[in-house]
Amino acid sequence: MRFAVDTGGTFTDLVVEDDNGEVRMYKASTTPTDPVAGVLDTLALAAEDYGVSRSDLLARGDMLIHGTTHAINAIVTGNTARTAFLTTRGHPDVLVLREGGRIEPFNFTVPYPQPYVPRSLTYEVVERIMYNGEVREALDEKEVVETIAQLKKAKVEAVAVCLLWSIVNPAHEIRVGELLEEHLPGVPYTLSHVLNPSLREYRRASSAAIDASLKPLMGAYMGGLESRLRDAGFDGRVLVVTTQGGAMDAADMAQSPIHSINSGPAMAPLAGRAYAQADSGADTAIIADTGGTTFDVSLVRGGRIPWTRETWIGQPYRGHMTGFPAVDVKSIGAGGGSIAWVDEGGLLHIGPQSAGAVPGPVCYGKGGTEPTVTDASVVLGWIDPDFFLGGAMSLDREAAAKAIQSQVGDKLGFGLHEAAAAILSVATENMVHAIEDITVNQGIDPRGAVLIGGGGAAGLNVTAIARRLGCERAIIPDVAAALSAAGALMSDLRAEFSGTLYTQTAGFETERVNELLARLESQCQEFIAGPGADSIEQIIEFTAEARYPSQIWEIEVPLRGNRVASDQDVADLRDDFHSTHQEIFAIADNKSEVEVVGWRANVRCRLRDGVEWTVKEAVASDIEVPEHREAYFEGSGLVDARVLRFEDMARGEEVTGPAIIESSFTTVVVDPGASAVRRDSGSLVINPAAEG
Amino acid sequence: MAEKLDGVQLAILNKRIESICAKMANTLLRTGRSGVLNSARDFSCVLVTAQNQLLNVSESLPIHVLRGADMMCEAMQENHPNLKRGDAFLHNSPYHGGSHPADHTYLVPVVDDDGVHRFTMVAKAHQADCGNSIPTTYHGSARDVYNEGALIFPAVRIQENYEDNQDIIRMCEMRIRVPEQWWGDYLAALGAARIGEREMLALGREVGWDTLDRFAEQWFQYSEELMINAIRQMPSGKATTFSRHDPFPGAEDGIDVKIDLEIRPEDAMIEIDLRDNPDCLPCGLNLSQACTESSVLLGIFNSIQEDVPTNAGSLRRVKMHLRENCVVGIPVHPTSCSVATTNVADRLGNGVARAIAELGDGHGMASTGSIIPPSIGVISGSSEKTGGAYVNQIFLGWGGGAAGPNVDAWLSIGHIGNAGGSYQDSIELDEMRFPMRVVGRHFITDSGGAGRSRGGEAVYCEFGPVEGDMEVGYVSDGNEHAPEGTRGGGDGARADQFRRDANGDLHRLEACAQAEIPEGHTIVSYSCGGGGYGNPHERPVDKVSFDVREKWVSVGAAREIYGVVVNETGVVDQAATSKLRAMSST
Repeated sequence: MRFAVDTGGTFTDLVVEDDNGEVRMYKASTTPTDPVAGVLDTLALAAEDYGVSRSDLLARGDMLIHGTTHAINAIVTGNTARTAFLTTRGHPDVLVLREGGRIEPFNFTVPYPQPYVPRSLTYEVVERIMYNGEVREALDEKEVVETIAQLKKAKVEAVAVCLLWSIVNPAHEIRVGELLEEHLPGVPYTLSHVLNPSLREYRRASSAAIDASLKPLMGAYMGGLESRLRDAGFDGRVLVVTTQGGAMDAADMAQSPIHSINSGPAMAPLAGRAYAQADSGADTAIIADTGGTTFDVSLVRGGRIPWTRETWIGQPYRGHMTGFPAVDVKSIGAGGGSIAWVDEGGLLHIGPQSAGAVPGPVCYGKGGTEPTVTDASVVLGWIDPDFFLGGAMSLDREAAAKAIQSQVGDKLGFGLHEAAAAILSVATENMVHAIEDITVNQGIDPRGAVLIGGGGAAGLNVTAIARRLGCERAIIPDVAAALSAAGALMSDLRAEFSGTLYTQTAGFETERVNELLARLESQCQEFIAGPGADSIEQIIEFTAEARYPSQIWEIEVPLRGNRVASDQDVADLRDDFHSTHQEIFAIADNKSEVEVVGWRANVRCRLRDGVEWTVKEAVASDIEVPEHREAYFEGSGLVDARVLRFEDMARGEEVTGPAIIESSFTTVVVDPGASAVRRDSGSLVINPAAEG
Repeated sequence: MAEKLDGVQLAILNKRIESICAKMANTLLRTGRSGVLNSARDFSCVLVTAQNQLLNVSESLPIHVLRGADMMCEAMQENHPNLKRGDAFLHNSPYHGGSHPADHTYLVPVVDDDGVHRFTMVAKAHQADCGNSIPTTYHGSARDVYNEGALIFPAVRIQENYEDNQDIIRMCEMRIRVPEQWWGDYLAALGAARIGEREMLALGREVGWDTLDRFAEQWFQYSEELMINAIRQMPSGKATTFSRHDPFPGAEDGIDVKIDLEIRPEDAMIEIDLRDNPDCLPCGLNLSQACTESSVLLGIFNSIQEDVPTNAGSLRRVKMHLRENCVVGIPVHPTSCSVATTNVADRLGNGVARAIAELGDGHGMASTGSIIPPSIGVISGSSEKTGGAYVNQIFLGWGGGAAGPNVDAWLSIGHIGNAGGSYQDSIELDEMRFPMRVVGRHFITDSGGAGRSRGGEAVYCEFGPVEGDMEVGYVSDGNEHAPEGTRGGGDGARADQFRRDANGDLHRLEACAQAEIPEGHTIVSYSCGGGGYGNPHERPVDKVSFDVREKWVSVGAAREIYGVVVNETGVVDQAATSKLRAMSST
């Protein structure tokens, strides 16, 4: 039996898969002060459902995969360790200057971001290595020891070390590490070339600083998680989801906690990939995960989950770069709780402000006064006020209607339904904009992709989004409400090894490149023999980070094999670069040579066989649901829509819109002109085919 | 008359057009070859209507396009009355709406299926070289356009039926240094414009061209409406500000810039008169008309609420009085405008923001630091590492943001016209690409203008060649005349520059030079700080304490200038501070 637990801001989701491939889902409230308690709570819910004690249930488990927001929360709330930054002399402001850049050129009300480590805890180290590894200035060890004495005095709890060109010659960083061990024992530290051996000192320094600052906290959290699970009766393996969409042993995660920063959303595309394949045979998909406050978009391209090299904590240029590639996830403030408002020029906006869980939308009746997307959905008749969360909560339609009319309708000169429909339209457009943003960056044409909806609010406008994007299919998997946790069950053990070695396709440095590739491969083999020892299948993939001469932004080009040995291999690499460049940017310079800057090897060890499982559906509640109700759609007006229960739909059953399909976790709206069919996999597949 | 679009349709179409411009910008940034494109983001992607009205500039460098893209499209239509699908035009003429000759602009008319010209996609990209007589795109001492040497293209058809005009390509390759780099940038910028064209055609077919025309008209109205509301919240009155650009070759007495500004909230109008300014000078510092107007608009838009869209609609509420043959006006051929986007333009834009500040506390801004110091100069030379000649602009550090009424400066602003959009080079990336070593780069304590809000600190940068000699071209204003503070705020630090010889001795360099740095020597660059806003004694004590602890402000300056008695760890002597601040207020 395997468990996947995803701790989110509001809910902790648990997915349990038993040895027969049956899957069950549970949700419990997250306990922000003690997230492990929320994990144990969901397990208690599951035990009750299975009719066994929690310790018996846990004893059956081989593996627990955990996605957590603990690290990111610590950063956002400023609860990380007091961290010092050691840098090459002459370059103290690496973390202050960052790489420049700014958004909103005319907005001078946003202050310049503070560096991740303050200047007062930044220390310069006398040393200098050149780009070719030559030592221009030796490391002044005596001075380093004096600096360490200052660190002690400053009561530093963690240390980040990033020296220029340590990626080419790590000797100085290694020696500083030894001196820290000797003179500041017990204080965790991170060396940049060990953690993230990539070009560009700011990104490496930022990686090291963030990682070091998380070590005390995440070390304790990982230790606590494992020991409390053990105490509760669990004897299996504890894995944690990484920002790169893989899994890592909890103990290893404690050693490089930066990898847990985007632990949750990185899992959704794994599930999305599986369902796109299973339900429509598609290898290109857009995964849209809609929660209460955020809308997370991720992608599958040609069966692979694309990454971004530029991952920000916070807004671009106003936050900090992690320096690590991550599963490319674009998040915007758009969800069920997003607030609708009209500006002084008469333009309707949705979000980015959210009513959150407290006070929540107006219809919750908990003191919310500003109309939200959820309120509009209630007014349109899409959400049944008596069957929200399976009837666990009843909603105030009248209050929602009043707020929408006065705060949106009257200002736009619209009637109630028109105003509510407009709120959904603009919310849809914001989401489409976010999707286009990420698909543009990754060079994907949404028209050739399927759209996968996940999260509680996905179904409201998944048809509308698919229409706007021109997608032929939209899919709501039966695990949609816990898509990330479901994805975690599909995750592989993953590790990545990389090196910097500059060369050109003309005058290619075959020997040095292949030496590096061989080293990366043996690192992968070590990983396979270690954490990956029990895995079913092992895959190593190599990529080159390349660009045209004098470009500075590299793109990733997969290597066809594991070495670049012959002239033909080099020519292939060049051709593959041209076609990747063409694919992403719609242009290529086919006559040009190509520069390669970095080399990466990815190792994946598969932990499970296939993805076939059956979801055991929650028992339908005993609330009577009418078979029809009035619902409003733009272009059609008020119509009589069919109402169905998700769990009652037979496999192969087809419905045509207007229809509303409800479960305890979600509501799926099938617009007029669209149709939906329940597949054998349990997924609902929507054909958005626009009317007319 | 067709039906009016509602607020929802307006919002949706605006988002779609922003998405199109974002696609264009992404291509330019990621595929551009020169540092000025791929690091400094010195490019713009703009949408202009068939009536040559600026519609969307969301992915643009402010100094490039607040005015100019529209004028360039006008020149295109005048020179080529019959526009066909597949056409593309190269434009860089400062006498026809261009900013300065280094900004190669590609204009692609969007022609619908019936052959009607609907919109024009504009992709403007600063080149690493544009064929000047010396290897820099900022030829400060150019006596005229002939001495400057740039190839000038007044809206020249470079593609027809999507095919390059090879004559023009060959001319560029024969004249522009490192032609492969130019060719790569041509592909990037034209590719961006073509992507915009493809997307606009799809949008027009989907929603209908008439709908897009209505959108444009209503979007202008909406923008004007917001601009009216913004101006109504501004202080009423007239102000005159002065700023002086340093003496440069051809402008030996410096250049005085005088700004007469009037805000009339009751009419929701801002009026600016620049006619009382010197005639054009025999140097490269003269502004093009596009840069004159864009600089004025920059000063204004930096000072009003941030949600007013910048387009032909909001621009209707600003009236300018310019004259021909004026250094901040309308230059006449063959006046050189080689450095039109930065130096004097910065003085002008900053002067406008300060004029607004003078009319009322809480409005306007101080001056942003002047540029172009050697740390962001154009480096050139020849080396094995670069496979021969290299010429490129580097962006190692330019600080000096301006303080606003209530917010400290954005540190890495670049200059007012760039608005911080520029990236700052990675040391490792530059050392990998060029035969150079960067000895140090950091901010300088006490170099930002003091004030209730602090001006941005200056950047110290030292670098030099490690293989062969290197030339560094730069035009550093602010060596003599510091960036001004406002409303009692202090000035930012002045710029300076030196050559450090092999013995470590420093030799001061000219402010506007093509400096030769032999192997083994280095160039030492001090950029300007930015001006402060408001009386430093009004700065909250806890902020000053933080500034000292973080080494932005020294213990001495905290006491002398801010009236705060604090030690270097930030511990404040409250009693002594109260006494000191009370003394100065009497």
